[in-house]
Amino acid sequence: MIRLLRCLRAFAPGLLLLVLSNSNVFAHCFVGARFFPATLLIDDPCVADEMSIPTVDWFKTGTTPAGSEWDVSAEFDKRITEDLGFGISDVWSQIRTPGGPTMVGFGDLETTLQYQLLKDSSHETAMLLGLIVDWGGTGATNAGIGTPYSLLTPTYYFGQGLGQLPDSVGWARPLAITGQVGYQIPTTSYIVSQSVFVPQVLVYGASLQYSLPYLKSEVQDFQFPDFINHLIPLVEAQLFTPVANNFGNPATTTGTINPGVIYVGSYFQIGLEAMIPVNRTSGTGAGVLGQFHLYLDDMFPKTLGQPLIGGAATSSSKPL
Amino acid sequence: MRTPIVQISLFLVLLGTTAARAHAFLDHANPLVGSTVAAAPQEVSLSFSQNLEASFSGVEVSDSAGARVDQGKAQISGGVMRVGLKSLSPGTYRVHWHVLAADTHKSEGSFVFHVGKP
Repeated sequence: MIRLLRCLRAFAPGLLLLVLSNSNVFAHCFVGARFFPATLLIDDPCVADEMSIPTVDWFKTGTTPAGSEWDVSAEFDKRITEDLGFGISDVWSQIRTPGGPTMVGFGDLETTLQYQLLKDSSHETAMLLGLIVDWGGTGATNAGIGTPYSLLTPTYYFGQGLGQLPDSVGWARPLAITGQVGYQIPTTSYIVSQSVFVPQVLVYGASLQYSLPYLKSEVQDFQFPDFINHLIPLVEAQLFTPVANNFGNPATTTGTINPGVIYVGSYFQIGLEAMIPVNRTSGTGAGVLGQFHLYLDDMFPKTLGQPLIGGAATSSSKPL
Repeated sequence: MRTPIVQISLFLVLLGTTAARAHAFLDHANPLVGSTVAAAPQEVSLSFSQNLEASFSGVEVSDSAGARVDQGKAQISGGVMRVGLKSLSPGTYRVHWHVLAADTHKSEGSFVFHVGKP
C-alpha cells in the first residue's frame, strides 16, 4: 500500500495537467447503451479512470494440508489519452499453512498499459489490447510471495453486449459477455538455485453478465425496487494453463469460477463473489472475493476523471 | 481506529451528496419501457438521474417502419425530457434518446412501447 501511495505521489505533476483539460466522454465502460462493470476477477474491456480500493479475497489453498490465504489489493487506472490507459496495482498477501511458516508481504508491483481498439456503440462491442508487467524483485521475494523475475503478459480483452437480439427474445438482451486472453512470458526460464523451469502460461478468462439496469432502461421496466435495478449478477472465470517450458512441473490448469453480483451506483460499485476452485490444485472449498470500486471520471469529471492528454471537445457532440 | 472510520464515513457521505455530476441514467419513462398502453399517449416523457444539457440532448420516436412520429424538438427541464407525439395508431414504437449530462458525460439508449390491447 505504501508503495502504491508513493507511486501515486509520483504522478502528482501529471495530475496537475488534468485540471487544464476538458473533454466530453462516455468514460468508464459505456458502449452505447451498454455498461460493462469493472469485473472483479478479469478486467473490463475499456480504458478508464477508476480505482479499486480495496479488493479483498480469502480462500483455502490447494496444498496438503490446506492453508488459508488473505489477499488485499489496490489498483489505480488512468487514461493517458482517450484510448490509451495506464494502470498500477499491488497486493498484500498473508498465507498460513498448518505446521508451516506464515508468509506475509507484498506481491510484485504490476503495471498495465492498454489501448482501446474498438468501441462500437451500435453493436455494443468493445476490444482492448494490453501489456501487463509484473515487475520482478519489487515484492516480498524472500517471503515467497514476490518473484525475482518479471512477467510480461500481452493480453487481448473483449466485451460484447447482446442488445442486438430481437425483441422476441428481449429477456436475453441484458446479457453480455466479456473475456480476456493473455500469454504470460517470464523474463527467466530457469531458476538455478531451485532447479526449476519457469513456464510460459496462457492466462484466460470470461464473464457472463445479466444487467438489470439494462433490463429496466432498454427492455422492460418491471418497476422492481430501486436496489434491484442497480444489480448485475454475473459469473466470472479465470484460468491459468502452462503451455511451454514446463519441464518437471505439473501441467495442470488452475483457476476459479466465481458466481456473484455487482451493485452499480453513480460513483462506485460494490462486488461480491464466491470463489469456486476448478480443481484441488487451485484451492480447497469455496472462498470469497469482494471489491469496492470508484468511478473517478464521474467523481471528478473535470479533473482526475479526464485523460491526461486531449479529449473530445463538448462542441463535437451532435444533438439529435 | 476511529479516525479511519470517520474518514471513510465522510467519504461515503460525500459520494452520496454529490449526486448531480455523474452519467445520466434513464430513471423512468412514460410510457414505461417495454409497456403496452391501451390509449395512444400524447407525449413521451423521460426522467434521468442527472440534469441535462439541453443543447446536446434529444429524443426521436419512430414507428415500426422507421417513420418519425414525434413532433420535433424535445422540451428539457432539469433531468426531464419530453417530446410530443403525432396521433398514434395501434402498433410498436421505438424511442431513441441521447443526452449529455451537466458534467459533459454522454449517455444514450432506446426502448419500445406498444399501443393497443395488452
